[in-house]
Amino acid sequence: MTEKTPVRRASRINVASQRRKNDERTQSQYQPYKDAAWGFINHWYPALFSEELPDDGVEGIQICGVQILLRRTKSGVKAIKDQCLHRGVRLSAKPTCFNERTISCWYHGFTFDLDDGKLTTIVGNPEDPLIGTTGLTTYPVQEVAGMIFVFVREDDFPDEDVPPLAHDLPVRFPESSERFPHPLWPAAPSLLDEGAVCLGIHRTGEADWRIACENGFDNAHILVHKDAAYIHVQNWILPLGLRPMGDDCIAAIEDENGPKGLMQWLFTDKWEPIVENKELGITIPGLKGHFYRTSVVLPGVLMVENWPDEHVCQLEWYVPITDDTYEYWEVLVRVCRTDEEREAFRYRFERVYKPLCLEGFNDADLYAREAMQEFYADGTGWDDEQLVATDISSITWRKLASRYNRGIAKAGRGVEGATKTSSIRMRRLAQGTKPGYFVEKIKD
Amino acid sequence: MAESPHPSVRLSFSDGSKVGFPVEPGETVLDAALKAGAPVLYQCRSGACSTCVARLVEGRAEMQGGALLQSEVAEGQRLLCRTTVSDDCGFSLGYDSAAGSGKPRKAFAFVDAVVRIADNAVRLVLELAEGETLPFEPGQYVQVTVPGTEQKRSYSIASPPSALPRIELLIRLLPGGLMSAWLTDAARRDDVLEIEGAFGSFFLAEKDPRPHVMVAGGTGLAPMMAMIDTIREQPGRKPPILLSFGCASEGGLFYREEIGLREFWLPGLDARISIEHGQPGEGVRMGNPVDALDAVDPASVAYLCGPAGLIEAARSRLESFGVSPENIHSEQFVASE
Repeated sequence: MTEKTPVRRASRINVASQRRKNDERTQSQYQPYKDAAWGFINHWYPALFSEELPDDGVEGIQICGVQILLRRTKSGVKAIKDQCLHRGVRLSAKPTCFNERTISCWYHGFTFDLDDGKLTTIVGNPEDPLIGTTGLTTYPVQEVAGMIFVFVREDDFPDEDVPPLAHDLPVRFPESSERFPHPLWPAAPSLLDEGAVCLGIHRTGEADWRIACENGFDNAHILVHKDAAYIHVQNWILPLGLRPMGDDCIAAIEDENGPKGLMQWLFTDKWEPIVENKELGITIPGLKGHFYRTSVVLPGVLMVENWPDEHVCQLEWYVPITDDTYEYWEVLVRVCRTDEEREAFRYRFERVYKPLCLEGFNDADLYAREAMQEFYADGTGWDDEQLVATDISSITWRKLASRYNRGIAKAGRGVEGATKTSSIRMRRLAQGTKPGYFVEKIKD
Repeated sequence: MAESPHPSVRLSFSDGSKVGFPVEPGETVLDAALKAGAPVLYQCRSGACSTCVARLVEGRAEMQGGALLQSEVAEGQRLLCRTTVSDDCGFSLGYDSAAGSGKPRKAFAFVDAVVRIADNAVRLVLELAEGETLPFEPGQYVQVTVPGTEQKRSYSIASPPSALPRIELLIRLLPGGLMSAWLTDAARRDDVLEIEGAFGSFFLAEKDPRPHVMVAGGTGLAPMMAMIDTIREQPGRKPPILLSFGCASEGGLFYREEIGLREFWLPGLDARISIEHGQPGEGVRMGNPVDALDAVDPASVAYLCGPAGLIEAARSRLESFGVSPENIHSEQFVASE
């Protein structure tokens, strides 16, 4: 006990107005979500496109504050913690492999088995008593439809508790067609469907992954898309917004053995398109649109059915790298049964979908998220945001995520981005490299 | 081999470490353990607080008085501060050898809020002063000096360690009680309290995958809230939890909303709330929290906190379901005026 007069800590008190949709009681229901700045851990996340990891290739990435190394071997892609247990350097910075089964640290030669993570030898110190007694965490990997997924877990999360990848992917059709009818479009394809082809991009966004994720299924934000080139070349006319007509406008997805999240009943009478604002004298002459539907499941996977075209479905992930950077994944899925179909899909992807949709249309989302970032970065936004009726989608998502996440990632420690002002970070910035997703490889 | 002059005692901690030492005639096991530097938890040294409880696993050991139930003694539980030995014996301790090395410390705390939560209970929200720390395990308690007196009162911490520097206590108001009088008549936000802790060997064994049963009477809910929040914040698979909480009457109930929130956050939490008298409101059962234990997995680990009668009844009920006595942990509370 200190002998001095006790001094109060500096603190701020959050008083939420009862008029807000997110009043104090509601906020407390999603407190776990507010705690998840570094993401939800013990979930499956996309790590790389298959083509980003050639045979024998090694890459280093960071998800939820966990540095992960991926290596493609003859027996598949392996993932192991990308931080040597000796002095903490990233093994992927200068990949050193003496055989097919292991990765060695380029610094002191600590060598790890890629399957179980065990320290199998030390290159210049093969009799050391530490050998065989310790190791690095490994991460389950699954490669489907041209994407590599990694189960990002805590060090002591047991293998037998690892859920199937399908539990962290959107609901599938037609098996869910009865539950979530879609009379206006064909059954949305899934990554797990036979013949599924995935084409897409991923890039780093400078925002909290949560505000990025919420933007994806926020029905009031279509205003930012009204002048997207893709909308105009299609001659579509969007409503000003969509208004929820009751509490049943969203269905929770919470089956015991499956993904957890929500489905929005878009283009039913549960959401009313707004075509007029009298105050501003705006009237939409006649809606002419394209029917789509959004849903989101843990750990933050958006599905936009029937978008940007029939038979295509857009998936998005907002993979937390740190608490203020996320890897934004935009992927289009289509089932292609022949080489011609595959080629046609790729051709249209390169010429239309990628420049006009994933970039053009969705670039507006990227800057909208960055525009929110400063408000949320120090916690202010989570306390002071004044949510309204149309934010029911975000609030429902926050509650479901609070209930069903498999763990709240701890703030990154000893990893890139944990110290925002490290001198190396500053030097890289000065040299023109922004904080990102990939390891910076050492150039010899 | 020559007879050693004095009987010797061996303590086994839950992490597998063991300590042996001789005990002189008439000396208590606790005194001998402290002399030998063994990291045992203790507090009152007079048989009241039950902090130094251990299980006799080998040999015979007599206990003079002490706040254990007959059933607990029969199972081999002993309070080391009231126990003497006449020949060699062994005790097992329910905590690891690191727990006892964390010595209780004193700290100043500011009152953030005093909230009447039931007819006879108050929630006291404290914030440790700048620079103060008070590490604890969920389930442990602190001693609070009643302002203006030298008197100390013990209260389990209801908030999890992660909430530090905030500390929440649930306090039962007793007519004529010193602390009760201060809380109802004098306490104001920004008042300074002297607290000391943490104490007690009743705390959560973390990352235990077995089903958890928690039985709480009245403000005995406090340590359960700290444990539930700690389990909730632990990443990874969470054990199923059955919380059975009861009060005498509807007016004595509290924390309905807080418990409801935890049920929302933890799909594996099943909370049952009971009252013994009067008209139960919606979602409240008639009876005591032991009656509400209708089926319990024999592989469960149980935490009990409340008055002696409740603990005794819960213990025998759990044992009748096949729960092993060494998996039943309890903290009995005694009200002091």
